[in-house]
Amino acid sequence: MPEPTPVLVTEGLAKAFGRHAVLDGISLRVDPGEIVVISGGNGAGKSTLLRCLAGLLPFEGRARVGGLEVDGRPDVRRLVGYVPQAVQLPEHATVGEVLAFFARLRGVRPEVPDLPEGFLPAAERPIGICSGGQRQRVALAVALLGDPRLLLLDEPVANLDEGGRDAFWETLRGRARAGAAALVATPTPADLIGVADRAVVLADGRVVHDGAMDGPHVVALGRRRGTPEPRASDLGEDEEEAEA
Amino acid sequence: MNAALAVAGWELRGAVRSRVVLGAALTFGAICLGVTLLGLDALRGLGLAGVGPAAAGLVNLGVLVPPLLGLLLGAASLAGARERGLLAMVAAQPISRPAIVLGTFLGLAGALWTTVALGFGLASLVLAGVARVQDLAPLGALVGATLAVGSAGLAVGVGISAFARGRGQATALALAVWFVLALGMDLALAGLAPAVRLGPEGLLVAVLLNPLEAGRILALLAASAGGTALGPFGAFLLDRFGAGGAAALLVGGIVVWTALPLVLAGRALARRVV
Repeated sequence: MPEPTPVLVTEGLAKAFGRHAVLDGISLRVDPGEIVVISGGNGAGKSTLLRCLAGLLPFEGRARVGGLEVDGRPDVRRLVGYVPQAVQLPEHATVGEVLAFFARLRGVRPEVPDLPEGFLPAAERPIGICSGGQRQRVALAVALLGDPRLLLLDEPVANLDEGGRDAFWETLRGRARAGAAALVATPTPADLIGVADRAVVLADGRVVHDGAMDGPHVVALGRRRGTPEPRASDLGEDEEEAEA
Repeated sequence: MNAALAVAGWELRGAVRSRVVLGAALTFGAICLGVTLLGLDALRGLGLAGVGPAAAGLVNLGVLVPPLLGLLLGAASLAGARERGLLAMVAAQPISRPAIVLGTFLGLAGALWTTVALGFGLASLVLAGVARVQDLAPLGALVGATLAVGSAGLAVGVGISAFARGRGQATALALAVWFVLALGMDLALAGLAPAVRLGPEGLLVAVLLNPLEAGRILALLAASAGGTALGPFGAFLLDRFGAGGAAALLVGGIVVWTALPLVLAGRALARRVV
């Protein structure tokens, strides 16, 4: 069976702010249908990596999305959906206006049909009276507009309640089944056990783990307080062995 | 271009809904009305007809207030969006950075022009009763010059916003630029002109280096046949370039003041961290 054409390839991606190196030689390959957790402690370079791939920061090395170089030109960004770690949507606009604006920028319809009903606040609701979680849901919907092939999600469910998280992960898995890929940055990768296929752990701007979700670096990073214990099957362990 | 127009529409809607722009429009309208009524009162006291003194007051108002408003609006634009994380979301879409700058400028220019239209609209309601047919062209030139210098101020503000580290720094720089253009250059010129023996050519260069001054001269040229309101400098301009040539030169200067900051802002935004 021929190897699938990767959605994302980076080779020796490096980024420094002044003399301070934040990313140092990141080489990754992400195939269609893969959901990859990008994790690491605070300041490990997770958000910077996503911002480089979204075309927001110039960098050294190479990155290609769908075969197109990430070099600042707008075309490649048509293939990418991005949610930054923190965004304040304008309070004067309604939910519908925000979606319509970003859809127009992308040249697509302002609809995300695979999001479950009730995930988004009503279209006529002003952002100013939406809760933090509702605003985050709108930002996530913006990233999903136009079925991008690569989703770059920086702590996407940080403000969401449990129902919202489950609904979003289910949507993300649906997108992956349809061939999209996603990089999800989070400091607590164990939260994505059962959702993500693979974990990449960064430390001091370098990849220290690229593989299964049960690697020692992943386990060491723990999980968000209040989230359920991972099932043994999610960790890839033999259930009998786990019980023993 | 479609993406730039989308940004323009977004900015215009946001600015119109914002209380700051509404407040500025009402304030500018009230000041225009006040200046017009005071000017007409002075006119009647002298037993003169026409709109001359009222228009002269509006010239000074028009070349000072809209550029200040434009500078402040522009300074808050990109820097504010960057602080809120919104610029990153917009820049991650398939739109070029120069198109973001252009769209931001066009949208805010629409808001600024609405403000100016409201202010001068109120003044024209009062002037309509006393204006003569020959007053229409000077008043039209005044509105045009005001829109032009306001747009130049806005472009400089957007340029500052692209380079500034934050909204606070951008606003402080915008205010500093306005003080230099509105007062500083005049004061420096008044102090230096005798010492350096600045001739009319040197004065023209100084005018072109200041869009507010170029706008003022443009409006006054149109307001007074033969450039009499400008004294020897007006006579020099008309003698050397003719009325059309002088107007084109001044408009050209303002256009450069508008285009150059936008080009620099587009380049800065393409290179810097968003």
